[in-house]
Amino acid sequence: MADDAMKTDVQLPVATDLKKPRPKKAPELPILERRNWLIHLHYIRKDYETCKAVIKEQLHETQGMCEYAVYVQALIMRLEGKIQQSLELFQSCAILNPKSSDNLKQVARSLFLLGKHKAAIEVYNEAARLNQKDWEISHNLGVCYIYTKDFKSAEEQLNLALQLNKHDLTYMMLGKIHLLQGDTETAIDVYKSAVEFSPENTELLTTLGLLYMQVSDVYRLSGEHLAISCLKRANYLSAILAAGSMMQTHGDYDVAMNKYRVAAYSVPESPPLWNNIGMCFFGKKKYVAAISCLKRANYLSPFDWKILYNLGLVHLTMQQYASAFHFLSAAINLRPRMSELYMLLAVALTNLDDADNARRSYEQALQLDESKLLVNLNFAVFLYNQGDKKAALLQFQEMERKVNTQVDNNSNTEFDPEPEADVSSAPSPPTVDPGEPEDEDEVEETAELKEKKSKPKAAAE
Amino acid sequence: MSSTGDSVASSKWLDAHYDPVANLYTFSSCIALSDLHGDGENKLVVGDLGTGVCNMKLKVYRGTGLLSESTLLDLPTGLVSFLMDLHEPRTPAIAVASGPFIYVYKNLRPYFKFTLPSLEVNPLEQDVWSQAKEDMIDPMTLKEMLEGLRDKAEIPLSVRSLRFLMLEPQEMENFVLLHKEQPIRRQTVITCIGTLKKNMADEDAVSCLVIGTENGDVYILDPEAFTILYKMSLPSTPTLMDVTGQFDVEFRITVACRNGNIYILRRDSPKPKYCIELSSHPVALVRMGKNVVVGCTHETLHGYTQKGKKLWTAYLPAPVTTMALMDLPTRGFQAVLVGLANCEVHMYRDKNLVSSIKTPDVVTSICFGRYGREDGTLIMTTKGGGLIVKILKRTAVFDDRDSAPGPPIAQSIRLNVPKKTKLYVDQTLRERENAVAMHRAFQMDLSRLRLAAARAYVKALESSLTPMSASLTEPLKMNAVVQGLGPSFKLTLNIQNTAACRPVMNLAISFLYDENLYSMRTAFFKIPLLVPGLNYPIDTFVECLSDKGISDIIKVFVLREGKSAPLLTAHINMPVSEGLALN
Repeated sequence: MADDAMKTDVQLPVATDLKKPRPKKAPELPILERRNWLIHLHYIRKDYETCKAVIKEQLHETQGMCEYAVYVQALIMRLEGKIQQSLELFQSCAILNPKSSDNLKQVARSLFLLGKHKAAIEVYNEAARLNQKDWEISHNLGVCYIYTKDFKSAEEQLNLALQLNKHDLTYMMLGKIHLLQGDTETAIDVYKSAVEFSPENTELLTTLGLLYMQVSDVYRLSGEHLAISCLKRANYLSAILAAGSMMQTHGDYDVAMNKYRVAAYSVPESPPLWNNIGMCFFGKKKYVAAISCLKRANYLSPFDWKILYNLGLVHLTMQQYASAFHFLSAAINLRPRMSELYMLLAVALTNLDDADNARRSYEQALQLDESKLLVNLNFAVFLYNQGDKKAALLQFQEMERKVNTQVDNNSNTEFDPEPEADVSSAPSPPTVDPGEPEDEDEVEETAELKEKKSKPKAAAE
Repeated sequence: MSSTGDSVASSKWLDAHYDPVANLYTFSSCIALSDLHGDGENKLVVGDLGTGVCNMKLKVYRGTGLLSESTLLDLPTGLVSFLMDLHEPRTPAIAVASGPFIYVYKNLRPYFKFTLPSLEVNPLEQDVWSQAKEDMIDPMTLKEMLEGLRDKAEIPLSVRSLRFLMLEPQEMENFVLLHKEQPIRRQTVITCIGTLKKNMADEDAVSCLVIGTENGDVYILDPEAFTILYKMSLPSTPTLMDVTGQFDVEFRITVACRNGNIYILRRDSPKPKYCIELSSHPVALVRMGKNVVVGCTHETLHGYTQKGKKLWTAYLPAPVTTMALMDLPTRGFQAVLVGLANCEVHMYRDKNLVSSIKTPDVVTSICFGRYGREDGTLIMTTKGGGLIVKILKRTAVFDDRDSAPGPPIAQSIRLNVPKKTKLYVDQTLRERENAVAMHRAFQMDLSRLRLAAARAYVKALESSLTPMSASLTEPLKMNAVVQGLGPSFKLTLNIQNTAACRPVMNLAISFLYDENLYSMRTAFFKIPLLVPGLNYPIDTFVECLSDKGISDIIKVFVLREGKSAPLLTAHINMPVSEGLALN
C-alpha cells in the first residue's frame, strides 16, 4: 500500500520493513478537494486575502478543476462587486458539476444582481427542479417576481418558501408585496405572524408598529408594540421617533422627550429627531428652545419642508411675523401644492399689513384644497376684520356646510364645531412616506394654529 | 461606559505570556491542552499550518517555551487529545486529522495511522480502466469515455481519472503506464474531528474519535482498534462539530455544515434528527450546557436549544473569527469567548456581554482550560502568528449584568439644546415691534436687488461680456489664462466653436490696454478657421513696462470682419509684475 510507504517518509518508525521496490510504485495523487475546508474557513472568517491565496494555490494544483475553489472565488468576486466575472465563474462551476443546485442558485443570484430578473427566474426554476425543497430558491424567485411586477407569482413563491422554512426575510418581502398592492390589512396580518415567529426582530416590530399607526384607529395596540420594539433595541431610531411622536400626539411631552434623549445620544445629527424635539418644546410652550432645536434641524436638513413649516408656525406664535414669512415662503418653494402652507402665509401677511397678498394667499389655499375647513374659517375672520362682511359670511357658511357634511359622513359623535376638536378627526396633512413619524407632529401643529386663530374669531363675533 | 469596562476586564486577567512572533498559523480546531506525560502538568499542543503550503508542524509548548516540534506531512485539519485505553500511566494520545488520514501520537511518538475507507468507485470507470490496463483502448479513447462518464454519472470520478483528464495528450501515455496497475480508489478528506466518551462520563474516561468528511459522512471510531463503530451521513460537508454524551448510552453530535445549516445527530438514527437553518454561515459553534451558541458571518450570535429552537440573538460589533467555551467547574461558571475581527475578545453569558478583552492583534484561535498547573488559562493565537497566554485572577468576579430592566443610561443624559444669546432676544423683541417695517424694507430691498441683477445681466448681454457669445451664427466660447511672473507674461486664449457642425471664419482678435503700462507685439491679429468642438489655444506675449508694482485690466475682443460690435469680450485682470519689483 502506498500509505505504508508514505509513512516511512514521515519518519514514522513503525513498519520500516515494508519498503516496496521503487520503480513499481505510482505516486500518490493529491485529492482534489483536500483544501476545501481551509478555503471555507478563511471565507467565513472574511479573511478574503488569505482565502484568495489558498484558492490560487489550489486552482494551480488542480488546473481549475476544483469546483469548490472556483465557487468561493466567484463568491468573493461578487462581494468585490465584479458581478459579471463572478457570473462566468459560477457558470463554469455549473459545468463542472451540473447536478448541484447550489451552483445554479449562485448563477441566478448573480443574474439577479445584474438586474436580469427574467433570466434569473429561469435559472432559479431550473435549480428548483434539482432541489424541490429549498426555501432559498422559492424566496429568491419571489423577490425576482416582485421586481418583474408579477405580484401574484411572487406571493405564491414566498408562501411556498414560508411553508418550507420560516425566515424573517421572507415575511418582510411578503409584507412588502401587500403594501405595494395597497393591502395594508393583509400586510399587518403577515407582519403579525412574522412577529409571532421572531419576537425579537426590531425591524419587523417597527414596521408593524408603524403600520398600526397608519391604520390609526388602534393607537393603544400599536403603542404597546412600539414600546416593546423600542425596549428591545434602544437605539433603533425610527422606532423611537415613531413612539415619541405618538406620545407627543397624546400630549405626553415629557415621556416623548425621554425617548428622544435616548435617540439623541446615539444619533445626534438626525434632522427629524431635532424637529420632533423642537415640537416637543413647542408643546411645552418653551418657544426659545423650540426655535433652537428646529433651527438645528433646519441646519442639518435645509430642504425639508416640514421643518420649515414648523419654524414658520413657531415664529407666528412668537409674533415674529417677518421671520415666519421667510420660513413659510421657503417651505412653499419646496412644496408648492400644499394648502396649509398658503393659509399660514396668509396669516403672516395679515399681520404684516399686506391685506392684498393675504387675500390672494387664502384664495390660493382654497383653490389647492377644497376640503380644509380651517382655511374657510380663517379666511372668514380675515374678511370680517377687513370689513368685507358679505364675503366673510359666505366663507363662514361654506365652512358650516362642510362641517355638517363631515358630521353626517363620519357620524362622529365627538365632533364639535369648536375648531380644537376637529383636529383629531382631521386627516393628517398629505404624507410623503407612511413610515415617517414626523407626520404626527403636524397634526399637533395644526391644533396649535387653530387655537390661536379661534380667538380672533370669537372676538369678531 | 466602555472605558470603565475595559479597565475592569483587564484587571481580571494576568498577562502571563505574549510572543508576537511565535509564528503560529492555526485555528481553534487545531489547539488542545493535554497532560501529555501524565505528570499533572498540562501542555499546549498546536497543529501549525506552517506557511499553508509547507512547513506544517506539530508543536508542543510547556510554560512559555517550545518543548518539542515534529513535522507533519500535510495541513492539519483538526487536533484532539483523548484517552485511548485504560493502561497505566493514563497518558492521553494526540490525534491529528490531515487529508484522508488520522495520525495518532502517543508520548509524542507516531503510534498509528488511520486511513478513511475508500468510497465507492463507479463500475463503468473501473471497466474503462481495466480495458486500458489490457491495452484494449488508447489514451484518447480513454479520455473520451471518461469525459462521457464525468458528465452524467451518479458517482463522481476518482482522482486518477480527473487528473488524467487534465493532462496534455503527450503526457497521457506515460500516466496510463504508471497508474494502470494500481487499483482505482476514491478517497475523501477529513474536515473536522471531535471526541466522544465511550461508556463513562468521567473526566478520564476512554474516548472515541468522531470525524466528519468532505463527502458529508460522520464516522465514530473505536479508540483501541480504530475500526468504524458507527456511520452517519449529512446532506452537506461538515465544518464544525460538537459532541456530547457517551457512545454506549446516548450521544448528540451537533454539526455545522457548509450549506449554512446546523444538523443535530443522535445515537439512534443515521440521519440528522434536527436541522437549524441559519440566515448566514456559521463561523464557530460552542455548546454551553444544553444550548448551542453559534457565531454567524452577519455579526450575530445566536442561542439555540438542543432541539433546534431559537432562544436569543446578540448583535456583535465586528465579524466573528473564532469562539471557545470558558468553563470553570470549580466556580460553576460558564461563558462563551468570542474572538472578533476588531481585536477584541468578548465574553458572553447567554446574550449578555459579561466582559471584554482587548488584544494586540486579531485573534484566530482561542482555547481555555488548564495549562501547566493553572486552571483558568486563556490561550489565544493571533492572525500575525502571535501567542497570548492569560491567566484568570482568582479574585476576578463576573457579575451578570442584565441589560433588560431599568431605563437606558442615555435617557438621563441632558439634551444639548443650543442656547440663545441676549442679542437674539433683543432682535426678537425688535422684530415683534417693527415686523411690518422690517418686512416692507426687506421687500423693497429685494425688489431693488432683483432690478440691479437684471440690469447687470442686460448690460453684460449687450456688451458681449459673457464668456459665451450670444449670437446664433457664431456660437463661441473663450477663456483666458495668464502665465508668468513678469515683466513678460504669456497670455493664452482658449477659443472654441460650440456649433454642432458649422465652422466659423473671418474672425479677429484685438486687445485694448493702457499703453503706458503694457506693450504687446501684436495687438490685433486674425484667427484661423474654427472647426466645431476643437479647442484653439492662441498665445501672445505681454510686456509690463511699469516697475511701480501696479497692474491693470487688458480687454480682449473677438471681432467679426465687417462688424464693429465685438462677438465676445473678456476682461483680464493682469497680475502685478513680480519680476520688476525684484529688480
